[in-house]
Amino acid sequence: MPPRIQPPSKAIASILRCRRPLRNQRQYATAAAITPAASHEQMTGGSPAISRFPATQPPSYKPPEFRKSQLLRQYASVLRSTPLMLIFQHNNLKSTEWIGIRRELSLALKKVDQARVAAGFPPENLADAIKLQTIQTGIFSSALRIVEYYKPEKQPQADPNGDGLTHVLSKAAHEAVSATKKVHPLAPLLSGPLVLLTFPTVSPQHLKAALSILAPSAPQFPPPTRRASPGWHDPGVQAGIQKLLLLGARVEGNVFDVEGTKWVGSIEGGLEGLRGQLVAMLQSIGAGVTNTLESAGKNLYFTVESRRTMLEDEAKGGSSEGSKKESKAE
Amino acid sequence: MITRFITEVSTVFNPFSPKAKTARLFLSFLPPDARQTMKITTKLLPRSSKEPSFVQVKFKDGKEIKLDAEKLGIKGVAEEVNRHSRILSRADELAN
Repeated sequence: MPPRIQPPSKAIASILRCRRPLRNQRQYATAAAITPAASHEQMTGGSPAISRFPATQPPSYKPPEFRKSQLLRQYASVLRSTPLMLIFQHNNLKSTEWIGIRRELSLALKKVDQARVAAGFPPENLADAIKLQTIQTGIFSSALRIVEYYKPEKQPQADPNGDGLTHVLSKAAHEAVSATKKVHPLAPLLSGPLVLLTFPTVSPQHLKAALSILAPSAPQFPPPTRRASPGWHDPGVQAGIQKLLLLGARVEGNVFDVEGTKWVGSIEGGLEGLRGQLVAMLQSIGAGVTNTLESAGKNLYFTVESRRTMLEDEAKGGSSEGSKKESKAE
Repeated sequence: MITRFITEVSTVFNPFSPKAKTARLFLSFLPPDARQTMKITTKLLPRSSKEPSFVQVKFKDGKEIKLDAEKLGIKGVAEEVNRHSRILSRADELAN
């Protein structure tokens, strides 16, 4: 039986023995493009680093798989996107009481939405976006400091030693905030069991409805009547509301105490009403300014005019006397 | 903290003062059904006020103690309340 593998023929053996590479130059149909010389920036500065991570998952200084890292991100996003938030203390509420309070709150807010639509405003459906959320105070205060005191877009250039990342969990954010000794005015509030009520816009009408449900006080924020919302008067909901304690509010980055919160909630007619008041005030100021500015000109006009009439009278008087003299002379 | 023998709690504090933490934590230590068994009044001071915060507790035997929340801290307040509650619980056990 002949061997399975044939010995190479002479021609092939000579090719295999040959040290010279066979055809090291390939032929292309198109002419090879001439590579342009590197630009001046590339010669001096080098090419930019290739990013080694997906754009949606930048490396993070704090371990991203921990719940508290994700809570920090979530709180920072809540703080950045929420212009109006109320801070309550909740003292051992039961889950049934929470359910009742959330139900009554959403009902009252939906009523406000419907009233606004009926009054001719475009429908916004803010009621679905207004949420009660319990928070972890330590992580929340850390997120608050990052949001308030770490502004990477305002710094002229990034740290050359850093990795150029500026997100909430980045090393730059951590170092910028851990170095600050500043105490945020909201910081003393952030201890104990807290719950946030977050509003996506500053809407005094919704705030008023929420306050009259969660922290009713007689003249300005009356509790809903038994007929309007019988559910609010359930013993379960009532027990829960007694245990909620309004501490303060954060409105557009400013901190308000209970009185300030009530003042914001008591703005008549919501933001539209406030705008109307401002427009009326500016108009009256404008009228006043034009009156004042005009009055100087008018005064000058009247003075000059009276002087002119006086001079004319004098001139007339003088001319009539002169004519008398002339007649006498004749 | 033993809360069985408390009939009345009244607290005054300014939430924007760091020292108000004690009074607020005391309120959060009360059990969920506290409002049915005791009378709880809370007064919030405005932000600029410098008045001291305190916790006033009244027991079933009529004893009333007023605790300076700023000095004691939550542990101290709980200790003071427990000190009298233990006496009451011992008397209660002996009576039954």
